[in-house]
Amino acid sequence: MEQRLRHEAKALLEQGKVDWIIGFEPGSLKFTTTPLITNDKNDADRLVINPFIVNNLANFLTEVKGRVGIVAKGCDSRSIVSLIQDNKVLRESVVILGVPCLGIIDLSKIERLVTKDRNELDDIIREGDKVVIRVDGEKKEFPTTQALFDNCLACEFPTPQEYDILLGEPKPAAPNLAQSRENIEKLEGMSPGERWDFWKNELNRCIRCYACRNVCPACFCQRCFVEETEPQWVLPVPRWQDNLIFQIVRNIHVAGRCTDCGECQRVCPVNIPLRSLAREMYDLVDELFHFKAGMDKDARSLMTHYEEKEAEEFFR
Amino acid sequence: MKQESEWEPKLVGFLCKWCSYAGADLAGTSRRKYPANIRIIKVPCSGRIEPLFLLKALRLGFDGVLVSGCHPGECHYQTGNYRARRRIAITKKFLEWVGIEPQRIQASWVSASEGGKFVDIVTEVTTGLKIVGPNQLFSQERDGDGTEATARG
Amino acid sequence: MASKKIDKKDIAKLLSLWSQQFAVFTPSQASGVATMAKWDGKDASFLDWYRNTVIPPKANFLPAMEEMFGFQKDREGYHIELLPSNERKQLIFGVRPCDAKALAILDMTFKEAYEDPYYLPKRSSAVLVGLGCTNPYDSCFCTSLGISPAQSTDVDLMLTDIGDEFLIEEVTDKGKELIAKATEVKKASKEEEAKAKEVKEAARQKVTRKIDTEGIGDRLLACFDDEDYWEKIAAKCISCGICTLLCPTCYCFDINDELVRQQGARFRSWDSCAFPLYTKMPMENPRLEKWRRVRQKVCHKFKFYPMNFGVIACTGCGRCIRLCPVNWDITQTLESVPVKV
Repeated sequence: MEQRLRHEAKALLEQGKVDWIIGFEPGSLKFTTTPLITNDKNDADRLVINPFIVNNLANFLTEVKGRVGIVAKGCDSRSIVSLIQDNKVLRESVVILGVPCLGIIDLSKIERLVTKDRNELDDIIREGDKVVIRVDGEKKEFPTTQALFDNCLACEFPTPQEYDILLGEPKPAAPNLAQSRENIEKLEGMSPGERWDFWKNELNRCIRCYACRNVCPACFCQRCFVEETEPQWVLPVPRWQDNLIFQIVRNIHVAGRCTDCGECQRVCPVNIPLRSLAREMYDLVDELFHFKAGMDKDARSLMTHYEEKEAEEFFR
Repeated sequence: MKQESEWEPKLVGFLCKWCSYAGADLAGTSRRKYPANIRIIKVPCSGRIEPLFLLKALRLGFDGVLVSGCHPGECHYQTGNYRARRRIAITKKFLEWVGIEPQRIQASWVSASEGGKFVDIVTEVTTGLKIVGPNQLFSQERDGDGTEATARG
Repeated sequence: MASKKIDKKDIAKLLSLWSQQFAVFTPSQASGVATMAKWDGKDASFLDWYRNTVIPPKANFLPAMEEMFGFQKDREGYHIELLPSNERKQLIFGVRPCDAKALAILDMTFKEAYEDPYYLPKRSSAVLVGLGCTNPYDSCFCTSLGISPAQSTDVDLMLTDIGDEFLIEEVTDKGKELIAKATEVKKASKEEEAKAKEVKEAARQKVTRKIDTEGIGDRLLACFDDEDYWEKIAAKCISCGICTLLCPTCYCFDINDELVRQQGARFRSWDSCAFPLYTKMPMENPRLEKWRRVRQKVCHKFKFYPMNFGVIACTGCGRCIRLCPVNWDITQTLESVPVKV
């Protein structure tokens, strides 16, 4: 896949079909990749595809000007489609280089499994349904269900639905919803008061870095509601009340456009389980309106559509 | 002098100008009594309602929020209340999931001629709030003795 | 001056002794993230996992959120209520040399540039017990900034891990006083001192990430106006605040007032030059474009701060590299700055 990607990306730039290529290149830390945004065809040889291509590159589409050749995993391609539904991105201005995805390895899970930090590991390889870790001369094996990101475990669409070039064989979906929703199930078992206390406790350590918002492709407002001063909905001060309101409203704002890519939770520097909120909204939207984000580029987005009769149970 | 021995819930109502507000007005001109717990804010359409309004109201200390608009199909702006319906449905369900008591967020369709319905709804909602109690959701507390420094002062 | 030592098993006793006088802070993951939190009074098991905290110790003196004062509003105007200071002096246990140096750098802003009435009382009464690294991250680059991972002059006591014990060096009089009455603290032997020296050197060797800071200020100034260069550097940044908020030497803050009915308060909270609205003013925003903000961050730390205070405002702790959502790496950027011909 990687060779094909480099070849295609180079060709796209050479033939002037795109102005930019957005993909992944090796990062500066072990087992890390980093976004590569380039208009230089010679950079195409730096592109990689591996189990650590974690970022949702669709995030850059609302910022990069011109036509873009973009590497997209299943979830990412749905984010692109969602942006097309929102009229933020024109289909003709992107060339989607689809990557059928086997799931991305969650380094923090690996670190917990072997109780060592990432830089102390020699190698991490995915072999079929197992992840093999070489550390201190030893080999340790774990099933992928213990090593992949939670949202990857729930993935129903690993192969991009919308693409121009598919870089590999389509992968079948094998969602393990139970595993993926473990935290959410735990929360659903609590009483409302307990749940509120849980979120109060979690959001207490939020420092309002806004990484969750900035990494989300669905958040592209030029002026976010948290930055609004007339009226001032929330102060920039990281009080748990304001932090919780920020998260609640952000999730409502991206409802129907969130593809559960899991980035918000991954990037949070203080380990707030944001995906439990995002996934809950994702399931709620599916349950109420039978809508999944980014499936059909010609469909209307969740909030611009309505049926004659729906959701009546919420109104007196 | 009336002794205030019982707590009275504070309810804020976002009523759409064309239907619900007129319905509330009709209740008034018909000399129908409804609980004075509700403070009414007129909006042009239920479609104007953002989840931020509801959360800010709860943050400021209101015990409950009522959103009311025209019946689906009768919106003065054609589709405003359809938008509101989707928005409020997911907001209500999501807030309930986060841990806010469902009785605090209420929504209704009240037309300009339904003064009676408005009275019934405000009465029911207020009673419901009296049962669920004062809004303690966002009450401030200082952590410990003030020297807890998990990045807080 | 002879060094002292203490058995690792006795650390909890030492912390208890100190708790009589100080509010003792130790590394803790209890809140969900590694930070310096009030010691639970029980054990020192944090020694098993502790490499460095995510939240830097600056949070103890410049918290993420601080209420500056309260106020009441009535017909006559605003009446300010200063908050009572009921805080005990702090003792922070386990400060890494990079973070200790960072506090000394912060002092230049909050003590020399002006005297900050919120930071200073906490800082001047605080005691720092340093702990040398034995296992630096691959993101650490302190040695390139003149800092040793195993030694610090910016703490009051310096501890070195020599196996089952810590070697203790008294750096200041405050530090000396701390252990004067501690019965668990014993004199260290020459062998133990030699072992500590080995450990310190080993730690230095483990810091493999290096940058060349020779003339970095001038080199940055030389490419300051190269918009294309900075656009390329800034391309993948997403303008969140992680690198700056969690940087131990960053100090920008925002001040906000809130008035609800008749009661109000003024808050100080962490702010970041990476935010697009950071420099927004009524007429314009001089750093509207992302590349300007990224350029500013690099130049502030490696050109402007040294220009004003004589020291690079970076201690190589590596948090920005480890925690960045897109793995934007300042060491890579610095290495790419063209060398002056």
